[in-house]
Amino acid sequence: MVQRRSARRRDEEGVRFSPWLFAICFALAGAFLYADRPDRRFEPLSDFRASFNDAMLPLLQTVDEPLRGFGNMGPWWRRHFELAEENRALRLQIAELRAWRDVARSLQERNARYREVLDVQGPDVGRRITAWTVADQSSDFVRSRLIDAGAEDRVRSGYPVVNLYGLVGRTVDVGRQSSRVLMLTDFNSRIAVMADRSNARALLVGDNSDFPRLDYLGRDPDLLPGDRIVTSGDDNVMPRGLPVGEAVIDRDGRWRVALYHRVAPIDLVWVWPFEPVPDPADDPVSVLEGDGAAPVVTPAAVPDDQGAEGEG
Amino acid sequence: MRAPLDQRSPWPGIAGLLISLWLALSIEAVAARLFGSGAPFPNFVLIALFIWSIRRPFFVSPPLVLVAGLAHDLFSGGPLGIWALAYLAAFTIARDREADGSGADFGPMAARFTVLTAVATLGAWAAGSASTGFPAPLGGLITEGVLTILVFLAFGWAFARRKERTAFY
Repeated sequence: MVQRRSARRRDEEGVRFSPWLFAICFALAGAFLYADRPDRRFEPLSDFRASFNDAMLPLLQTVDEPLRGFGNMGPWWRRHFELAEENRALRLQIAELRAWRDVARSLQERNARYREVLDVQGPDVGRRITAWTVADQSSDFVRSRLIDAGAEDRVRSGYPVVNLYGLVGRTVDVGRQSSRVLMLTDFNSRIAVMADRSNARALLVGDNSDFPRLDYLGRDPDLLPGDRIVTSGDDNVMPRGLPVGEAVIDRDGRWRVALYHRVAPIDLVWVWPFEPVPDPADDPVSVLEGDGAAPVVTPAAVPDDQGAEGEG
Repeated sequence: MRAPLDQRSPWPGIAGLLISLWLALSIEAVAARLFGSGAPFPNFVLIALFIWSIRRPFFVSPPLVLVAGLAHDLFSGGPLGIWALAYLAAFTIARDREADGSGADFGPMAARFTVLTAVATLGAWAAGSASTGFPAPLGGLITEGVLTILVFLAFGWAFARRKERTAFY
């Protein structure tokens, strides 16, 4: 005991790190903080983060699989005694939905015919990329998720991510096999949205709370509590018409959105390969100047009508 | 009886340090998945760094603190540098044991860890707010800090009982 305590004392007296070492480390940490600001991210750091996520993916997947099973067990166990009642209600719903299914099929056919007649080009819904969330990378400073689909699965930065209920966020830091999804609730999330009923436009701004706010609504917005909020596509970041949530008023009288995707834990998601309409300056129209001949526009310069598809 | 520290091989200690940091980071990642985002959780990285700064002070150098902080940022998905700056600030202020003469005895050590956690919490809040451009919510960080202190006290108390006089040694 004596020897151990004396050894400890020797050890304590001998340890002093140079102030310069601390200063250099502080400078490095500060440089990282400056370079990795969410609003102006340094590309190599973003790539490094994506590579790190790729490297961690097998470990996180290994850990995640039993956790996912455990997590799914919880609601079933808690609601065990309500299952009979729920079953009865679901049967009624199925009967009702059968009628709606017939209506939907009929409308789908009519919609397809109209598209054919009008020659409308829209995003191909069948190309959506399925992914599992493998880690919840959320803290007081960021709200994000890691998904197990990356560049190899054709995921690119900025693609919208949806789950069964609605929009979840968009991809950032895309690695080879994994991507990070910036949630709608994150400080740096800004999405153009509108009310489905009135088309009242607003900007959905994340503030790290569970209910992101609606900004730039105007002086007297045509908005009611419970209005369905969808993406407007005005920002050319998201396609038009993706369901986001319901309008609610908080205690301070500000408009916020109760997000649809929070209905259940976010496990299975779809990445929507949405290509924004190119800026005219980046994609100029090719005009063949001739002797009074009509200008010829290359097909690539004609943007798809994303809006018409999203409304469906 | 164990050999004095300066006669022991450093490799088991280095391996222990790296494994404990890895475990601390993994626990944070798993806990976030299990309890959902936003649920406060003790900062096991800070606890591991502090315990090792007592057991083998020379191992917990500023570069290691920097790397541990960056790893924490990477695992949590936040901007790089937030926890690195917070840990560096905390260890700069609260680790000099010659100055306060507290040694590894439980009471003074607990007081020093409380100061360390408070500085790390404030440092993370300041760095996070500077990085995102908005004042970060302090409530979650404070809850996390309090939980960290409580978990550390529980660990320290258990070790102190086992070792009769000193904790983490």
